[in-house]
Formats: sequence, C-alpha cells, structure tokens
Amino acid sequence: MNDLPNRARSISSLRDFLELLEDSGQAITWSDPVMPEPGVRNIAVAASRDANGAPAIVFDNITGYPGKRLAVGVHGSWDNIALLLGRPKGTTIRELFFEIAGRWGDQEAQISVVPEAQAPVHECRIEQDINLYDVLPVYRINEYDGGFYIGKASVASRDPLDPDNFGKQNVGIYRLQIQGPDSFTLMTIPSHDMGRQIMAAEREGVPLKIAVMLGNHPGLAVFAATPIGYEESEYSYASAMMGAPMRLTKSGNGIDILADSEIVIEAELQLGERELEGPFGEFPGSYSGVRKAPIFKVTAVSHRRDPIFENIYIGRGWTEHDTLIGLHTSAPIYAQLRESFPEVTAVNALYQHGLTGIISVKNRMAGFAKTVALRALSTPHGVMYLKNLIMVDADVDPFDLNQVMWALSTRTRADDIIVLPNMPAVPIDPSAVIPGKGHRLIIDATSYLPPDPVGEAHLVTPPTGDEIDALSKRIREMQLGALS
Amino acid sequence: MTTTVCGRCKSSGAVTDHQGRQDGAVVWTILRCPTCNFSWRDSEPARAIDPAARSADFAVDAGDLQRYPKILQQ
Ligand SMILES: [Zn+2]
Repeated sequence: MNDLPNRARSISSLRDFLELLEDSGQAITWSDPVMPEPGVRNIAVAASRDANGAPAIVFDNITGYPGKRLAVGVHGSWDNIALLLGRPKGTTIRELFFEIAGRWGDQEAQISVVPEAQAPVHECRIEQDINLYDVLPVYRINEYDGGFYIGKASVASRDPLDPDNFGKQNVGIYRLQIQGPDSFTLMTIPSHDMGRQIMAAEREGVPLKIAVMLGNHPGLAVFAATPIGYEESEYSYASAMMGAPMRLTKSGNGIDILADSEIVIEAELQLGERELEGPFGEFPGSYSGVRKAPIFKVTAVSHRRDPIFENIYIGRGWTEHDTLIGLHTSAPIYAQLRESFPEVTAVNALYQHGLTGIISVKNRMAGFAKTVALRALSTPHGVMYLKNLIMVDADVDPFDLNQVMWALSTRTRADDIIVLPNMPAVPIDPSAVIPGKGHRLIIDATSYLPPDPVGEAHLVTPPTGDEIDALSKRIREMQLGALS
Repeated sequence: MTTTVCGRCKSSGAVTDHQGRQDGAVVWTILRCPTCNFSWRDSEPARAIDPAARSADFAVDAGDLQRYPKILQQ
C-alpha cells in the first residue's frame, strides 16, 4: 500500500479497483439476503450519508437473483476517489481538486487493442432469446421511477453519418430504462452527442448502433461523464487523465469498447419510434417528468464470467453522483477561468452538478470578483449550470463550507449581489418557472478594496498552511489509532 | 396474488417479463404495462405498485397519452 500511485495506474477494470478498495477497507460485500426493493436502495442511501468514507458495496445475495452480483457506491466517497487517483484515504477534497486540475496536458494517451477473442468482456455471449432481466439484477432506484433503470451506463457509439471515423466516436453516460426483455429507452437532449446522433440517423434514415458498457474501468465514468470541449476520444482523454493505459476491443456490432468491462449490451436505434419514459429521480433531488424517448432494441449481450452489474444511487443529495462528477465538473471551470484570470485560486462546483458554485479569487480591484463571476457564466458548463455563484477571497477555501459561511457572514452586504434574469438554464432545475430558462445569482462575498471606503476589517490570523493541514491529519490519525 | 392491473395508469393487461427464483420457487414476478410502460415487481411495497396506495402525483392518465412530450423532434 506504500505505492498507491502505481497501484492506481495499474487498474484496468472494475474488478481491479474493487480489489484495491477492499484492501483499503473501502469495499464491503453484503451477503445477507436483501430484497431488490426497498432493500438495495435503503442500503445504498445509508452508505452515501458518509460522503468522505463510504465504501463500495457488492451485493451477492439479492432475493430472486441467486449467483448474481451488484456493485453500488464504487465512486461513492472522497476516499474512493482518492484511491482511484493514487492518493491515500483522508486526502482532502481541495487536494483532490488540485490533483485533477494538475493533470491537464500532463500525460499522453495510451490506448492498446485487445483481439475480440481474448477480451474478457466477450467471455460469455448471448445472441438468442435475449432477456436483460436474466443478466442484470435490477431494482427500482427511487420509489416512483417509471421502471428499472440502468443509471451508470457508459454508452459508446459511432457517428451514424461517418461511422468509420475513430475520432468521431462518442462515449457518454445516459440513463436507460428497461422496456421489456430486449429493449430500453435512452434519455438525452439535442445538445448532447447522443441526441445529435439520434437526430442525424433519423433525418438521414441510417442505422445507429450503440454499445452500452456496464461495470467499467473506474476512470472512464469520472473523466468521460462531463463534456469538456475536448476533441479527442473519451478513451484517450480518460487514459491521459489516469496516466494509465486503456485496453480497447470491438463490440460485436463494430464499436470500440473497453476490453475489461463486466457487461456490454449491443443495441440498435428503432428509427423514429418513441416510448414513454420516466419519471426518474434525478441529481437535483427531484423526479424528471414522463416523456416519449427513443427506443433501442438489444441485438446481443457480452459479459465476463460471473459479471458484476454496477449501478448508482442518484436522487436527493448527497449521493454517489456528486462524488462521481463533482471534481471533474469543478476542474474544467477552474482551468477555463484561469486562461483569462490567473487570480482565480479554486473552484468548487460540487453541488448538484454546479447549480451552486463557489469561486475563490485574489481581488485585483473593487468589484473584480463580479467580473470573474460573469466570465464563469460563459464557460461551457457555466452557460447552462452555474445558477448560484458565491465569490470568496483567496484566503477562503471554497471546499470548506465553514469558511465560506464566514465570508458570507462578514464580507457580504445585502446589496452586493447581482441577479441576471431570464438566462439559459438546464431544464432539469426544479426551481424553474419555465424549464430551460431562469435567473442567475451572484453573491460577492469578497472583502472590500479601494475605492470602497469601508476597507477590510483587522482580521485575526490563525495559523494556516501545510503545517496546520499536516497537524490536523496527524490529530485525526492519533484519534483513529486510539479507537482501534 | 399477482395482479395484471397497472399501479400507475390502472390499465389491465400487463405482461410478465421475468420471474425471480430462489431454490427453484418463484419469489417475485416483473410485470410491464403496455399502455404506460410502467414496470414493476410484485414484491415491491404497496405505495409503489398498488393503485390504491400510490401517490396520485405519479399517476399517468391512460386516456391522455398525447400530453407527454416527444423528445428529439426534428
Ligand atoms: Zn400503466
């Protein structure tokens, strides 16, 4: 365990990562009998209360699914994310943020190709009498979901109008609702890659084939989930960010997939058809509506021997969804802001995919933080998601909400806010009067600078910095040592 | 006793998609409503699957399926 960075880089599959988590006390096996509903949900929710330390949970005794395994909470805590990044348990969120932010452009992608006959994902193959319920131990994630959802699927596809172009392949996370033994609906919006591809295929009347990967290399979901305006394939990007190779192979329907995934569902779009989908308990903590969504027919399933179905609890936070995507939502905003304003020192967009963000900045002049906030709203993620922005000084750690509340309490005047009415907004925001449109709020909680006549108060300066961080970790370790 | 009446839209005629077995015996059945596409397991708590116990907020009106918007229109 002394070589965590190398161990993290040697991960090539969900199984490798579960082994690393287990060795670190961060994965447990739930072998008591549990009913699919509400048992699995109850246990997943109870675990996710501990955002810092929750373990992954592998169920191997779900009633009615003998011999089948289900994993939840794989990315469900900061300790699990730390181990994935080669850092020890107890690494702070701030340190993890800078770990990710520091990886940009650092590494080359390492893609290797595994012949299909040797790819673990193809160990077992189903082409006849396909029944997804035979393969996947599904359960209702939230009690009023419209059906049984696959919530953590990485969907790979080729551009239907340019299917031979490797660079135009896409991997994204979309929610899938099982619609009978060999069909599922896929929810997307026109601006997402899959939405564009579906509309293009239907407009031109050409087939759209996809490969749904379940139980994947844990780096893929972290680094391929959030669009970042990156031109290369998501596999290359995830490989570069992990500083580790990605092993690819081909699905039966000719799409590049991860060779070591647990399960791959191959499917084809039913052109022009729509089926009722939803509701689904989504990341803002509320249910989506019922809509008519595109439907896919399953053409084959490949899986490893004794596969692990990986799923996610998502709903009213805190949930695995927040730890899965939070840092990789924050880091691109930070990088994009720093291109214009190197005074930006950190970005916390962990909350509800950035519906609330906290940005720390070295104020150049009075009101400067507001200028930075306006720039944040024009970053790719900011355009739709950054609804509430809290601006703090560089002496406030935006990942420490106690410090943020101190800044709000002592450095904010009630008129030091900006409301921008009728801006674009992510349609899923439950507070919207008109979905897709809403107001933005900027709270300037930075201190006063000339020409403001008030000036900064005479601050108490308790000791801070690396030495104090190290001491607080040591105190925690001494405390844990005393308990064990 | 497994009912084929949909807990969400109250239509009848649900189809059986799968049965879970434990030591050879059927322990639950997954059903699907062809009218509103609701899928459920007959072992779920009543408040999720029983039309009498379910919240009306999550009902689907089988007589007015036109009201649900179609995504990705050209
Ligand atoms: Zn129904």
